[in-house]
Amino acid sequence: MNAPSAYAGMQMSVADHFSKDFESRPVRLEIEALSKGYAGRRAIDEVSFRVREGEFLAVLGPSGAGKTTLFRCITGLSTPDSGAVRLADFDMTHFRGRERRRIAVVFQQFNLVNRLSALENVLAGRLGYVPKWRGWLRRFKREDKLLALECLDRVGLLDKAEQRADTLSGGQQQRVAIARALAQRPDVILADEPVASLDPQISAGILDLLRGICHRDGVAVVCSLHQLHLAQSYADRIVGLVRGRLVVDMRADGFDTTMAERLYGNAELQGMIN
Amino acid sequence: MNAGSAAESALGALDAKNRAWTARRLSVWAVVAAVLVFYVVCWRLAQVDPAKLATGLPKLGHWLAQSWPPKLDELPLFLQRIAETVAMAAIGTTVATLLAVPMAVLASRNITPLPALYYPARWFLNALRGIDSFVFALLFVAAVGLGPFAGVIGIALHTWGSAAKLFADHMENVTLGPLEAVETTGSGRLTAVAYALVPDVAPVMLSTTLFWWEFNVRASTVLGVVGAGGIGQELKNSMDLLDFPRLFTIIVLILIVVTALDQLSGWLRRKLV
Repeated sequence: MNAPSAYAGMQMSVADHFSKDFESRPVRLEIEALSKGYAGRRAIDEVSFRVREGEFLAVLGPSGAGKTTLFRCITGLSTPDSGAVRLADFDMTHFRGRERRRIAVVFQQFNLVNRLSALENVLAGRLGYVPKWRGWLRRFKREDKLLALECLDRVGLLDKAEQRADTLSGGQQQRVAIARALAQRPDVILADEPVASLDPQISAGILDLLRGICHRDGVAVVCSLHQLHLAQSYADRIVGLVRGRLVVDMRADGFDTTMAERLYGNAELQGMIN
Repeated sequence: MNAGSAAESALGALDAKNRAWTARRLSVWAVVAAVLVFYVVCWRLAQVDPAKLATGLPKLGHWLAQSWPPKLDELPLFLQRIAETVAMAAIGTTVATLLAVPMAVLASRNITPLPALYYPARWFLNALRGIDSFVFALLFVAAVGLGPFAGVIGIALHTWGSAAKLFADHMENVTLGPLEAVETTGSGRLTAVAYALVPDVAPVMLSTTLFWWEFNVRASTVLGVVGAGGIGQELKNSMDLLDFPRLFTIIVLILIVVTALDQLSGWLRRKLV
């Protein structure tokens, strides 16, 4: 294994090398006919889409559309009733072990371990790589610590490495969570409403960071959002969920008010634009 | 016509409200009466007799006057008995805490691996909690003989129930978000628990244990009365012999030790949280 580095082999900007023509890039994550029901009701129904290298995919949809269920099935926190979650070379659907490190997750509520330092929280991203006893004792090798610190530097929080997570602001906590995701050196980052608990200015910083990781490192990003304008300005592609079904899948620059109406219906849409 | 009917219905509503208000006023009086009856009955049952207190207090004052100077010639014995009490509480509490951890996992709805045992575990803990260490000690003095060991068992059993219930309540309130987040890194379930849950729960458990230890030192001063060892034994002996200087010395010693422990455990707990 190469010495891990947050940027290893990624310094060359993918965006410089690839055109915006995503169709020619390799697929990083493929969701195929994923379904999951609760109490006889289908929360998601035959959802399929693909995300390619360096692509930022926004998932839109009114609340209750099934976004959270979809994300929990992709991350392995729930088991889908049918369908598949595939990485480029690997069927992840029923794996619960170390392979999970290839899909990193950023949560709306950050979900850091409050009593641990920022650095220890980022080191959690290495738990899928190191022997189990290292996780239990929180004793990591120098190269893992170095990688974690590089990840913290990447999100601009190197100076907060030793600070307890619960003393950081919301925006800082989300940055630590992104550093944790980076430390997993994932194929895909799944971000479930990453800015829903943050104010607009800080939200923009977080989304810039995610888009930078996506476009420069080639990590595919799947990000659910509830603000239309954020999806339009940050995403390369937008998919829309309504009542558990995928009803929109298109390039972000083609997404207009007509499409939005299909997603949210007229009344709600007015509320979101104003 | 319209206006008339609107006014009429408004009047109707007002009247209804008034009636309801009267009913509520009645129920308030009923509650007051019930509370009064409750206290009268309790007063009778408890055989409260202020006259007895009036004659008893001077007697107490007399004893207090007799109890000076303190009796220090038996100090080594007293210190050994107090050390016995502290040790009983320490062993009993530690054993109880160790037993409480697995029971607390069983009795936490959100993380129990065996949901079928949730209610039996809760009932068992409630039973332990419902019986005081004093009562357990009484039983075990008969079973294992006189001495501090019976006290240790008494403390351990009662504290087991109390501590496990407290731990379980804490675990049921823990947010599972960080645990899920660590799980998605590919850590595996057990490592995720060690990494995300233990740092959150362990300081609370340690602090609770310290609290129980301190509490049990105070509680176990009386265990000697039933023959379960510790300073309580000497306390009872002094009372039986009406040796007030000795009694007074022991009470002051208990106060000193309990206060010191209280400060120590408080300081340690502040360090932990």
